[in-house]
Amino acid sequence: MTKNFDVCVIGAGPGGYVAAIRSAQLGLKTVIIERENLGGVCLNVGCIPSKAMITAAHFLHRLEHQASDMGIEISGKPKLNMKKLVSWKQSVCDKMSGGVAQLLKGNQVEIISGEAEFKDAKTLSVVGKNVNDLIQAKHFIIATGSRPIEIPGFKIDEKEVLSSTGALALDEVPKKLVVIGGGYIGLEISSYLQKLGSEVTILEAMPALLQGVADAECVQVVARKLKKSGVQVHLGAKAKSYKASGKTYEVTYELNGKSEKIKADKILLTVGRKPNSDQMGLRKIGLKIDDKGFIETNAQRKTNLSHIFAIGDIAGQPMLAHKASHEGVMVAEIISGQNRAYDAKTVPAVIFVDPEIASAGWMEEEAKAHGHKELKIGKFPFGANGRAVSMMESEGFVKMIADAETHVLLGVHIVGPEASNLISEAALAIEMGARLEDLALTIHPHPTLGETMMEAAEATLGHAIHVIQRPLSGARKSPAGSSASASRVH
Amino acid sequence: MATQDVRLPDIGEGVTEGELIKWLVKEGDQVSADQPIAEVMTDKATVEVPTPYAGTVKQFKYSEGDMIPIETVMLVLDASGSASASKEKKEEKKAEAPKQESKPAPSSHSAPAPARSGGGGMDVYPPASDIHVLATPATRRLAREMNIDINQIQGSGLAGRVTREDVMGSNGGGKSAPAATAAMPPRMAFKGVGGDLEERVSMRGIRKKIAENMQMSKHVIPHFTLMEEARADELMKLRTQAKAAAEKYGVKVTYMPFIMKALIATCREFPMFNASIDDQSQEIVYKKYFNLGFAADTPNGLMVPVIKNADQKTLLEVSKDINDLAAKARDGKLALDEMKGATITVTNIGSVGGLYATPIINHPEVAIFGMYKLQERPIFVGDQVRKAHFMNFTITCDHRLIDGAVAANFMKAFVARIENPSQLMLDMI
Repeated sequence: MTKNFDVCVIGAGPGGYVAAIRSAQLGLKTVIIERENLGGVCLNVGCIPSKAMITAAHFLHRLEHQASDMGIEISGKPKLNMKKLVSWKQSVCDKMSGGVAQLLKGNQVEIISGEAEFKDAKTLSVVGKNVNDLIQAKHFIIATGSRPIEIPGFKIDEKEVLSSTGALALDEVPKKLVVIGGGYIGLEISSYLQKLGSEVTILEAMPALLQGVADAECVQVVARKLKKSGVQVHLGAKAKSYKASGKTYEVTYELNGKSEKIKADKILLTVGRKPNSDQMGLRKIGLKIDDKGFIETNAQRKTNLSHIFAIGDIAGQPMLAHKASHEGVMVAEIISGQNRAYDAKTVPAVIFVDPEIASAGWMEEEAKAHGHKELKIGKFPFGANGRAVSMMESEGFVKMIADAETHVLLGVHIVGPEASNLISEAALAIEMGARLEDLALTIHPHPTLGETMMEAAEATLGHAIHVIQRPLSGARKSPAGSSASASRVH
Repeated sequence: MATQDVRLPDIGEGVTEGELIKWLVKEGDQVSADQPIAEVMTDKATVEVPTPYAGTVKQFKYSEGDMIPIETVMLVLDASGSASASKEKKEEKKAEAPKQESKPAPSSHSAPAPARSGGGGMDVYPPASDIHVLATPATRRLAREMNIDINQIQGSGLAGRVTREDVMGSNGGGKSAPAATAAMPPRMAFKGVGGDLEERVSMRGIRKKIAENMQMSKHVIPHFTLMEEARADELMKLRTQAKAAAEKYGVKVTYMPFIMKALIATCREFPMFNASIDDQSQEIVYKKYFNLGFAADTPNGLMVPVIKNADQKTLLEVSKDINDLAAKARDGKLALDEMKGATITVTNIGSVGGLYATPIINHPEVAIFGMYKLQERPIFVGDQVRKAHFMNFTITCDHRLIDGAVAANFMKAFVARIENPSQLMLDMI
């Protein structure tokens, strides 16, 4: 059956379903096509389920290690029922995915489940269980995302070698887990499986964890805690191959030119993701795709074929759900005739390790590369924040980077409790072009973690209240390079 | 792709179209990326437009003398090397179609008609806001919806922040000019005697723009001019000293910076001189900033470079700006931005000659100040005849806003500053 639409969205992840809803809100006849589950990787095998697992693991960890300090006595050891945890996690996903279905239907978006392929630039075939349709649309929005990368010697089968998808579906905690790739996905899964009882070893090919992804000082805090909790981290380690020996596996890796071996019950491969641009006949219809596999788009996410748009992971870095959603709304509005372009100053990023890392804006080197020669950099520790201490989560700090002359905020990097929730204020501040004074002079409620944002701004200006800094008057000069100074000028 | 469209880029704040003065290449020429391909005249400046791509010039879309809206295709290149798909051949055919028409009508371009937003090409207009532009997301969107390139707006806020008001007040919408030209008097033909007794040269480029601007100003503004003289002996002394002192900075100090400073100080007393009339909203706009235009005679015709924020600059800085801008004007190297945004203009026609003139106001300003030759004259001191120096001044005003008596009082206050520079010193910031 041939069906006609104004807008055809392919892929119902956080980019696609948002684009479809906004298209429909704008009065466009819209269809969305999904081959697996509504909500995509994010809702089903990514962001949401991993957060459920992390919450549970953290809860268990606190019961085991912190409850007694707070005077809560538990007779015996708290016991984990992994099967029940996984089914609760699944209920979370189902609830969210069901919500997406409801929203799409409520907005009169037609949902078709099936595998899509372009016949030509204006026609899409969709084949599914009970579906064999041809879709013609005035506009297409490609939002088909990305999938995990494999490396030689390791093929993801979700039994021996797991991707994040397989790791999230484990209904038994592996005794020994070898994680290849210490990026943010590998670290998130490592830290929760460690808390649930795994003995975790991370093999990272780069000389540091999260290199170039997160502020190095922030990563240090996490690396230290990982080490303390017993996670083994091998940096500069290149995984080569593995072989089965009985029910376990032996992973061979190269470290400092020497070949090493390590035993594992499960192997987790998280070395990155690649865009799904090799599917659906995208090249066949003449779409320009760059050498990294991203569909080439302009600032409106329009491709070289003017009726086709691409958003989310498949349209370029950063591969983050919230960037995809932002683009989804934008593209729907462009199709409806509004003039829009992608001009966000920052895509905030969050990493749910322990403690959490979050950032918005530039790191120090990036700010310098963008022409800000003189920077003001300041830090405020969660250890000096009443709420953090009363939560028994006082590790970490808020770090701010601002232009030394104008005091315009350029970057915020947080490692600590609820960093993921605190970063939105930083993102808003950066989008608004806020100066340090704007943050410092905004009254933040007490006692909250949010106060650290205000105090970090003060610290960057050189005079936080709750850490000792040099006197404002300059009458009492602290010695140069004094460690009491929380701010420095670069 | 076999062919590559070259569009007229966005060449300056508020510019919506440009007149094609001259092609710098011929059809069939090989061009490299960034090579200038055409001279295009916009609001008072002629710019060379480069091609972003390399290739062979396949087809001109406009002839010399045509007006080209920005972001439209001005020529088509044959980009050598990567011809492949049949689809591109189709595009070539399409591109050739309008060639037969003698005059390029805007609707006949191969690009889908409104290339400004949601059009066919990969270009986005206005371009996305640069990461360094300090403006809130809402302001960035407002600019886009008004079709204004926010990257071209000079922010009035702290650290160059572009405010909502900056966007609303910028002239980038591209809608204002036609309204005024629509009311222009009819174009009268001139039938001469012809033959060798006359030579006809087409009215184009900067000459044409000057003509349009002058006509528009006279059409819109009821002008009047008030003339006065001032004793300049004290000013001469001051200038001679300042000139000597400035020499070690390598800056030549003329009389003009003193006149400008006195003018700014006087405008602070009489804010209606540093203002504009918004005819559309029927409002008077008093400006709290001073951008001083000064008329410069150049081989190409009249240019009016602008000293931005002249009130915040020292005499030395103003002098340096005058020297630099005048040199650039002579060499035809003024950037468009350096001729924009004047709030009041000074003309120094007296340096060439003439006792007085009745200048034409540089619309949308409401006044133009004239300064004339410094002259020796005999005066009576008691019964004695003495030598004294005088300079003549004129203030030409928009009578819609400024009445004769106000102009006379303005001139009186100005002359007081010239005759007694110590008063001018009191005004210095």
